[in-house]
Amino acid sequence: MVSILKRYALAALALLTVSGPAQAQDTINIGVSEPLTGAVAASGNYVVQGAKIAEDEINASGGVLGKKIKLIIEDNKSNPKEAVATAEKLIVGDKVPVMMGAWSSTYTLAVMPKLMEYGVPMVVETSSSGKITKSGNPWIFRISPTSEMEAKSFGTKVGDFGIKKADFLVVNNDWGRGAAKEFSKMLKEKDVEVGVIETMDAKATDLSAQLAKVKASGGDTLFITTGVEQLTLALKQAKEQQVKHKVITTGGSSSPDQLIAQAGAAANGSNHLLFFAPWFPETAPNPEVAKKFVAEWKKRGYNFAGLTEGFRGYDGIKTIVAGIKAAGKADPKAIQKALWGVKVKGVNGNIAFIKQGPEGKESGQNVPNVYIVTIKDGKISKL
Amino acid sequence: MNRQLIEVGVVLLFASVPLWLGNLYYLHILITTGIFIIAAISLNLLLGYTGQLSLGHVAFFGIGAYTSALVSLGFDLELTDSYTFVFEPKPVWFSFLCGILFAAVCGWLIGKISFKVRGAYFVIVTISFAEVVRLVALNWIDLTEGPMALNNIPPFTLGIPGLWELTFYKKEPNYWLVLALCVLSFVIVRRLVESRAGRAMIALRENEPLATSVGVDVTKYLVLATVVSAGMAGAAGGLYTHYVRIVDPDVFLFIYTVTMVIMVITGGKGTLLGPIIGGLIFGILPEALRGVAGPEVQWIIYGILMILIVYFLPQGIVPALTNWWRQREGHQDPPAPKETAREVVN
Amino acid sequence: MDQLLQHFLNAMILGGTYALLGIGLTLIFGIMRVVNFTHGELYTFGAYMMFMFVMPLQTNFFLALLLAVMLGVALGALIEIMLLKPLRGADIDTTMLIMIGAWIAMQNMEQFVWSGIAKSINNPFPADPLVIGAVSVSWSRVFVFVVACALIAGTYALIQWTKLGKAMRATFQDTETAALMGVRINTVYIATFAIGSGLAAAAGALLGPIFVVYPTMGDMAALKSFAIVILGGLGSVGGATIGGFILAMMEELGAGYISSGYRDAMGFLLIIIILLFRPTGLFAQKERIG
Repeated sequence: MVSILKRYALAALALLTVSGPAQAQDTINIGVSEPLTGAVAASGNYVVQGAKIAEDEINASGGVLGKKIKLIIEDNKSNPKEAVATAEKLIVGDKVPVMMGAWSSTYTLAVMPKLMEYGVPMVVETSSSGKITKSGNPWIFRISPTSEMEAKSFGTKVGDFGIKKADFLVVNNDWGRGAAKEFSKMLKEKDVEVGVIETMDAKATDLSAQLAKVKASGGDTLFITTGVEQLTLALKQAKEQQVKHKVITTGGSSSPDQLIAQAGAAANGSNHLLFFAPWFPETAPNPEVAKKFVAEWKKRGYNFAGLTEGFRGYDGIKTIVAGIKAAGKADPKAIQKALWGVKVKGVNGNIAFIKQGPEGKESGQNVPNVYIVTIKDGKISKL
Repeated sequence: MNRQLIEVGVVLLFASVPLWLGNLYYLHILITTGIFIIAAISLNLLLGYTGQLSLGHVAFFGIGAYTSALVSLGFDLELTDSYTFVFEPKPVWFSFLCGILFAAVCGWLIGKISFKVRGAYFVIVTISFAEVVRLVALNWIDLTEGPMALNNIPPFTLGIPGLWELTFYKKEPNYWLVLALCVLSFVIVRRLVESRAGRAMIALRENEPLATSVGVDVTKYLVLATVVSAGMAGAAGGLYTHYVRIVDPDVFLFIYTVTMVIMVITGGKGTLLGPIIGGLIFGILPEALRGVAGPEVQWIIYGILMILIVYFLPQGIVPALTNWWRQREGHQDPPAPKETAREVVN
Repeated sequence: MDQLLQHFLNAMILGGTYALLGIGLTLIFGIMRVVNFTHGELYTFGAYMMFMFVMPLQTNFFLALLLAVMLGVALGALIEIMLLKPLRGADIDTTMLIMIGAWIAMQNMEQFVWSGIAKSINNPFPADPLVIGAVSVSWSRVFVFVVACALIAGTYALIQWTKLGKAMRATFQDTETAALMGVRINTVYIATFAIGSGLAAAAGALLGPIFVVYPTMGDMAALKSFAIVILGGLGSVGGATIGGFILAMMEELGAGYISSGYRDAMGFLLIIIILLFRPTGLFAQKERIG
């Protein structure tokens, strides 16, 4: 009986050794960890679509350092522990020299110790929690804005919205809580009263209890921070419960076209902070880049609503490849060093990194552009 | 053949794996597989030997993980406005023991409550317990960080603080630690089921009314099995949390219990080697199949496999192989201890 | 006061679908002694069928609902014939394991077919809610409530007044005697499982357009059905109906006045409390040693 175990173990180990991924020498692998299933799957899939456009574009123009690039995409299942597992797999298993990920701040924060442990840089394409660039992790390069930057940018327009009292409905994680903290701080500085701050679990679908409290608070504006799936539900249920607040979403993950398609009339009158406005690519800082990206997205038949999210993946991969090119070799340490000097013409704007966090172990942070759009009668207009 | 010699040989063979495997990622898979094997061994004690289908087993695993993480990280709780309870971080070996102990205490409590009922009711109570614990971990943010997960959990350390310490950052020492605890769990379960208490448990599984009528204290033995099993699952959780160094409320998801159940059922419930064989299959298979089939296709296969095994191989792989082996060898091997125990009872 | 009224209204509407789920599960357990782990998947299946008919196929909303429920009934019958029929007489743990296997396979098939991204279903009802004084409710939820109540009443009528219902009740009382008296047990079993599955699919098809549809949506639905059934007593249809409404009320009030995060915990706390103080459930007479 025991000898069967021995044979079996040997056979299993042999199977493992044989079936391992073949290490190709003529490509440079880039690890991508995104939520492809679970609570925020829609956004993760859009980001991956944008990343694939960048991959094909770069390979069509000859790749980098004479080699083609290859994205190795792993699903972090909208869960921090799974995000760590994907990092382990990508870094230790596939030996990628650089990563992009992990969408939500919570997943990114979960992955960060692994970057330190193995010494691999990661370009952060979506996460907005301040903690990411301020905790002293020198392997982090973030191209998306922090909640603080978003709040500051929005601060110049508070007067236009005539906000007297604001309530918050945020997803219960680092992203939502971070946004509520930064925006309420900014609003208080502008003498706007802050009412209730309600949180919701990322998987929650029935938000009636939270909305009842928002309604009872008597504010005039409701800031919502969550993924597009939950945002759709929040808008629909707010209309059902006759919450009369003016809605402003933060975080740039609202995919307004998807809201119009799925929430219908409930989306009317809502305002959205975005980092790319695909309806007006000509107004982007790099109109040629933006137009080309939008054209390719449409050509591939991807959902137009995904563009506001998909550009992140495109810009992220472009930044990584610029880093590899500047480094001159696909080596984690060299790429980390080179990323400090990259200048990329991205869809959002010009990407370059400034230093944030404790001295000596700063993280890279880009200063992106922020747009605000409004949905009016099922149409999008720029503010 | 000398059985003990073979056993030592197998353990040494497994212990030598990091020396020749040469791929850290495969070693990582073996470590997580080993942790799940410990959990499966602990579940087997309840499911296989007492016959109680406990579907909340992941609760003990998660409680062990969270307790050990919190004790090693330290925490503070604002109990009243003026008083905050501050818990200083403790060494990992101590937190690990706390995790085992607390999981065992929870096992005792749940055993006391849920063994009032049997069958379907028992199953639902155990599932409910795991869900309540998950929701507490999700919502008690001051303590557990909720969905933000407990991060940067310290890795295992061994030794005397200040004098000599070994920190388990690398994969190899983690592997040996997991292997050692696997062997320990195996030995504990074997000693237990071969003892008087173990025979009483098996008697319960085979015929509860009969066992009761001859004076077996049903609840006492069931609670004993649950306590040992919960403590062992807590140990697996502690190993897991200090190895992956992050823990979030999804550790309590029902699917992890189901994974353990599949391991035990496939390998052979109520056999000592069953959870190990089942654990190796389901620990290694997902990685071996990764290139061939996506995760959802794999889970479809596992689901169907589970149905087929219950239909066609209800005893599991180990008993089937043992029978086949014995027939081939012409009954040379002595019967396994499990069968002896059953014969004694019958 | 307004808030309380609103919670009460929300609970009534949610309770209707919870009752559907509970009745389906309790019928199957009471008559067949099967703990149906696929119940949540039938719920998910109903929601995805609703999505398929309404969104890509552009079928009429009400026709789609009917089709989704009928397909749920058919799938239930199929599961019964393929998985449970060969296992007649097996112990409760064996069938439970089979159903867990089926649950995993079904859930991942849904993910394989529909991907992990949540789907949204449009409904034909006016966007403006029905306003009664200070409280309001959307027309789509009113529709859900009305259909759920109709289905509950229909199930009662079927059990009380039809020949099949009589056979079901006889089987519930005593399977052997019923068989001796000429009840075709096999037919009763298939019908029971199909009806129970149809009710779960109906709950999914009704709630799909209100919330979103995703592959793991059935897990919480299944766990809540267990809670409802324990509350009402396994096998008690009346108990499951009242249990569904009680659970919805507890969830709404708990979420509104205690913490929205513990909304889903209410059901499980209820199970544990009930089993501590009244192990037979609120409405059942049967013993708990199943």
